Amino acid sequence: MNSDPVTINLADEGNTLSVKWKDGHRSTFLYAYLRDQCPCATCTEKSGTSQGLGAPTSDPPLPTSLPILGPSGPLKPKRAELVGHYALQIFWSDDHSTGIYTFDYLREICPCSKCASNGKSS
Amino acid sequence: MEVIEREVLEALKAIQDPDLQRDIVTLGFVKNLVIKKGRVAFTIELTTPACPARDKISSQAKQVVSALPGISSVEVQMTAQVTSGAGERSPLIPKVKNTIAVASGKGGVGKSTVAANLAVALAQAGAAVGLMDTDVYGPSVPILMGAEQTPTVSGSQLIPPVQYGVKLISMAYFLPKSDAVIWRGPMLHKTIQQFLGNVEWGELDYLVMDLPPGTGDIQLSLSQTIPLTGAVIVSTPQDLAMAVASKAIVMFKKLKVPILGIVENMSSYLCPSCGHEDHIFGHGGAQTASKKLEIPFLGSIPLAPAIRETSDQGHPLALEKDSPYGIAFQEIASNMAAQVSITNFRVPNLVTIQ
Repeated sequence: MNSDPVTINLADEGNTLSVKWKDGHRSTFLYAYLRDQCPCATCTEKSGTSQGLGAPTSDPPLPTSLPILGPSGPLKPKRAELVGHYALQIFWSDDHSTGIYTFDYLREICPCSKCASNGKSS
Repeated sequence: MEVIEREVLEALKAIQDPDLQRDIVTLGFVKNLVIKKGRVAFTIELTTPACPARDKISSQAKQVVSALPGISSVEVQMTAQVTSGAGERSPLIPKVKNTIAVASGKGGVGKSTVAANLAVALAQAGAAVGLMDTDVYGPSVPILMGAEQTPTVSGSQLIPPVQYGVKLISMAYFLPKSDAVIWRGPMLHKTIQQFLGNVEWGELDYLVMDLPPGTGDIQLSLSQTIPLTGAVIVSTPQDLAMAVASKAIVMFKKLKVPILGIVENMSSYLCPSCGHEDHIFGHGGAQTASKKLEIPFLGSIPLAPAIRETSDQGHPLALEKDSPYGIAFQEIASNMAAQVSITNFRVPNLVTIQ
């Protein structure tokens, strides 16, 4: 499985971030899902999910169910930066930015049905 | 018969750059071609002044052009323009073309000695070089380089001292000799950022970074703060050292930092009285590992009292062009520079964020 991204689109259709990989695969992440999978220490501690465990839930929670959200509107990435050669740091609209999403991790949590079933079988 | 430019270029196409595996004309290395009444002059611009094939390319070029009919003299000038990767350069060090981490995983295998000698060898070849001692806990670069001068301050920037043509920075400059750094991770991260962003490195072809042992805070900070051009792994031939070195290799692979190659240090001991060669740490361990892991083998350095003595005296052997050890370091530096050129030449994995 290839985890070299070619393009990362922060504002794809329908509140999603999409990644086009070098092997041609395309991953589309709902903002809410991506934030829920935030690999930073605080988030993994809070949600009790350490990164990489189990396949992602098929039904990501709605953005409004996150306690951190006020009435200021739905959560979305303000911007993102590459970290060295290997990861993406997302700066969320609520100023959370400590999550460093490695490309390996992003590919691993791809929610598409093909990747999700691969994850389960292995 | 008047020789024309096209014929000369056609003849030069027969010469291959052994590292980039293309001919020097297609690579655009041939510059300033002047032909006047059978007299030909041109410049060959290589990707590093430390190119291992430099002399060979020069004499081949002279040979193939001289063989053309109607040529009375050929003048070849060799220069170099160090390349940089196609990816974005770090805003912290925008004028640094290449950043090279010298790592080992295991301590005590001679990383700092190798890093210092590589930096000096590159500078001796004519490159603009910096040497950053990222081993905050055990800084040894100033001793190895015999650098007595300390950095000076200009505004918010530090001006690094220059020794043997290499710009230096080290934690040792900021502490009394008898003191120690007793820090946790976040402080280290800040130091690395300052060593990069608050030091006036200027335009550099190569910034060599001496890493501490391990796969921890400093290695991670460095790989996150700047897109490293590549890493050089130093190991002794001992299985144990190679086992730990492979941890460092795994780390760099995970961080998607290209591995430029392995250097085998303390490869054998040559008895000064009887000349017997003793493989104290075993034989060829690093070479075997380089084959297995498909990583270039950059060269080996013997275990020699002369290296230890000159290191303690602050006179790196890479300065000695006639010493066998000096030659060993120069060869390794050339091989490494060639790998940097190859890495930069490869089609990069450019990520665009929209």
